[in-house]
Amino acid sequence: MPPLFANGLISNGLNLFIGLFIGIAFGFVLERSGLGTARNIAPTFYFRKIIVEQVMISAVVTATTWVVIFSLLGWIDFSKVFIPATYVWPYLVGGVLFGIGMVMGGYCPGTSVVASATGRIDGAVFAVGMVAGMWAYYEVYNAIQSFANSGYAGRFTWSKLLGGDMFSTSYIITVILGISILAFMGYMRNITLKKGDNR
Amino acid sequence: MEEKEKYLNPYIGGFLLGTVLFVAFFIASEGVGISGAFARITAQLIYLVDPFYTKNNAYTVHYLYTGNALANWLVVETFGVFLGGYLSAALAGRIKQRVEKAEGYPVASRLLFAFLGGALVAFATRLTRGCTSGQALDGISGFSVGAWIFMFSVFAGGMLASVFFRKQWKDV
Repeated sequence: MPPLFANGLISNGLNLFIGLFIGIAFGFVLERSGLGTARNIAPTFYFRKIIVEQVMISAVVTATTWVVIFSLLGWIDFSKVFIPATYVWPYLVGGVLFGIGMVMGGYCPGTSVVASATGRIDGAVFAVGMVAGMWAYYEVYNAIQSFANSGYAGRFTWSKLLGGDMFSTSYIITVILGISILAFMGYMRNITLKKGDNR
Repeated sequence: MEEKEKYLNPYIGGFLLGTVLFVAFFIASEGVGISGAFARITAQLIYLVDPFYTKNNAYTVHYLYTGNALANWLVVETFGVFLGGYLSAALAGRIKQRVEKAEGYPVASRLLFAFLGGALVAFATRLTRGCTSGQALDGISGFSVGAWIFMFSVFAGGMLASVFFRKQWKDV
């Protein structure tokens, strides 16, 4: 049963080869959706544009719907798919740092790659800055290692937190949270655009 | 900013993105990601200059288990993202050298903030085990609570800091 690679149904070489095309599709869709430019990313933090939320939330609702359908039909063993574990404290602190860097730089890692590919010099400079930031992390890793691994909760899903399973609690909460955020961001954007401020 | 072709409806873009993500789950058994590739590229660059550093650093040492830090699905996939972004923009007539910023904002300041922002984002991704792709999209699609903690923190940090970068995005 899929997932194919984890269950040994395809070779490592074939998986890498297909990975190139998955990346091409990913980059293609990011650019098509307008996420290859800081002009459509940075304004999200000023409630002026919500393309980031519209794309991300419809993406996760779509992906989770595929996961639920394929799991119900027995076409995928989703427990074999790698999902990042939860580390509460580093995610809180790291997330805030990430957000500061994002409004400062205008990109996140994936969108900076697309921006670089389309001639945006600021995107390419962001990507070079990322190499510097990685190196800085390796330099201080020994000092912050215990913090970086604090608050570990494993593969911590909504159903693990609240009971139920993937098809009930987890899926419903994901969809409700997504729609609520879209509604909130849309409301804030409309106020901002009407008042014409926040510039 | 005249563009030859308009962008896709963001909900349709999101549907396609989510479907690509599920294909990655189905085949590669992991989601899409970018920051992991940059971590490996950096480790490999350091290795070329100073192999002992990479071997003795508690963080980078595990990247060398396969012999080369770049022999990894995320690295290949990230290279694909670059190609795919180029392909889409080329087909839509959107390839153009430029610096994205508010009109009249100094280019040097913009590029300095792009560099520092990139560095800060990269540093943060090591704490958060991924970026808006590998942590947020994959984690949220995998029903992870931690991915939401990450994403809410990103928006909190971005909105708190937004006041300091207002001039950069004034008319954007």
